[in-house]
Amino acid sequence: MSVTENIYEPKPAVLERVVDEIDEVKTFYWRFIDESEQRRFLERFEPGQFAQVSIFGHGEFPASLPPSPTEGELFFTVRKVGSATSAMHEMGPGAVFGVRGPYGNGFKMESYAGMNLVFVAGGIGMIPLRSCIVYALANREMFGDVKVFYGAREPRGLMYMPLWREYEESKDVECHLTVDKADAEWSGHVGVVGSLFKKRDVNLTSKNTVAFVCGPPVMFRFVIRDLKTLGFSDSQIISTLERYMKCGVGKCGHCCIGVAYVCVDGPVFTYKQIKQLGEDI
Amino acid sequence: MRARIIQRESVLEIIDILRREGYDVAAPFRGRGRDTFFDLVTDANKDDVRVHLPNPYYPPKRFVLPHIERMMNIKCDDGGCCVQPETDVTPLAVFGIRSCDVAGIQHLDRFYLDRDFKDVYYERRRDNLFLVNVVCTDIENDIDEMCFCMCADTGPAARGHFDLQLMDLGEVFMVVAGSAKGEKLFEHRIFEKADAAHVEKRREILAGVRRAFKKKVSWFSAAVRLVSRGGVSEQTWEEIGNRCLECGGCTYVCPACTCFTVSDRCSAAGEVERVRIWDSCALSGYTRMAGGFNPRKAVHDRRNRRFFRKLAHYFVQRELSVACVGCGRCENVCHGNIGMPSVVEILRRSSAGM
Repeated sequence: MSVTENIYEPKPAVLERVVDEIDEVKTFYWRFIDESEQRRFLERFEPGQFAQVSIFGHGEFPASLPPSPTEGELFFTVRKVGSATSAMHEMGPGAVFGVRGPYGNGFKMESYAGMNLVFVAGGIGMIPLRSCIVYALANREMFGDVKVFYGAREPRGLMYMPLWREYEESKDVECHLTVDKADAEWSGHVGVVGSLFKKRDVNLTSKNTVAFVCGPPVMFRFVIRDLKTLGFSDSQIISTLERYMKCGVGKCGHCCIGVAYVCVDGPVFTYKQIKQLGEDI
Repeated sequence: MRARIIQRESVLEIIDILRREGYDVAAPFRGRGRDTFFDLVTDANKDDVRVHLPNPYYPPKRFVLPHIERMMNIKCDDGGCCVQPETDVTPLAVFGIRSCDVAGIQHLDRFYLDRDFKDVYYERRRDNLFLVNVVCTDIENDIDEMCFCMCADTGPAARGHFDLQLMDLGEVFMVVAGSAKGEKLFEHRIFEKADAAHVEKRREILAGVRRAFKKKVSWFSAAVRLVSRGGVSEQTWEEIGNRCLECGGCTYVCPACTCFTVSDRCSAAGEVERVRIWDSCALSGYTRMAGGFNPRKAVHDRRNRRFFRKLAHYFVQRELSVACVGCGRCENVCHGNIGMPSVVEILRRSSAGM
């Protein structure tokens, strides 16, 4: 008789370095202590998936995987928001915690081959999108135009800045940043994310294009409206949902919306599907 | 034939046999008043086991899915962390489980074991579980006015999924084996040959019991259709929600509810144990995320959710039955009269414009 794998057992991982991203948000670079576990995880995971992170004694939480499988490196970007994430923020290099996964359906990037990709993110909504942006650029020949629109409340709310600086120089991708409120050093665009679509150097059409949108609920609603004005249909808009989750494998019941479990049927849904689920974003 | 008979006075000897074979045996007992409960049989209490009793509020589900279950022990020291999953399970037999609760366990089996991910804790307990089903035949004791297994098509006699099934024929009990494990027990001498007259008697008694049920008709199929097609108005959900006191009682007594939450708690020095605990979609914290955002804040959204999860066609198709076994417990414990049969009736009336 085959032994059933324990889907709830976290595998020990060690923290390698911690980078301050923005206020209350840090990026944690880590690796599994067991090499074979590390290989297995890297082979399996796809952009848009997530993992369950265990901070022993504080609990477990679901976290998006911002790295692309093409990077060969694992990290989480985590906002300090509850007891387990706060405990994680106290951790330094060498600390041991637990990870299991990867879980979820992911963005299934190969199904968008040949299409133009538009990424629209607000604030920490960039965490899950980072994975497919990096993936798309690593497989540049697979896709048409790639455009990134990223906004935050203030300049210090923009994450992964070195990456955007690099992309601004690149011909492979159009990268547009904006802030709601500028400070003295900010020389870029000011306004909500949707206002970037109307910038003179932006030529955004819905033809053969798919838009990945992720951000706070207010931003999400306005961006959807703007995209629909540009002719995007509900199934051309893709997002990723977050819910309270305990298991990540469709058992604990917490993330069930309508007929879908966010953990196994999602977290990636088209806007058309999201509307059918019938619950607030 | 996989049926035998057993003399009335020998019925409880089945418990002795199971205990000798290494099983812990849980059986129904009477407490004070109406109160009845499943408890482990010991030498001291074994004569108090009752075959006919009102079905306990607290379902025997907890023997496969404990209310609080230790999942793993985590030990951290300078050398790192060691995660030790819990593996210890003692074989357990439930004597006297009713047909509705057998259907509950069948539902849990489909939920925990039939999908992409198998729940190893549930599987281990299930593999070590022996079920002795008792058919409800004592109209005074076994059945109450809330029972509606006939509507859920789970009783009064379970059609399978037990190891042994006992049915009271008066002088004797008829015993049916539902598994190889169960049939193996027939080697014991207390089991005697059954004949055609016994089978006929069984049929007669069952027909009589069926007539004794107060609730024979429920509009499950109509409810499934309404819920699945979004045919229930927001106003109806609000009416149902307004009657919910958010106690979570319905989910705690439900043999088919599956939700749990996970928590870490500190045990011995430097050690952490991770446990899972039954959770309830009636409670407002159920969907609240870290940071406070709660997508399902209104109580009627949560009620909507519970009945949607139990009745929607999508889930029925996936789990091959509605997530209700007709035991009537939720109706018994609900202070707001919104147990499953009442809600099914409310949904039907609302659709008929009544």
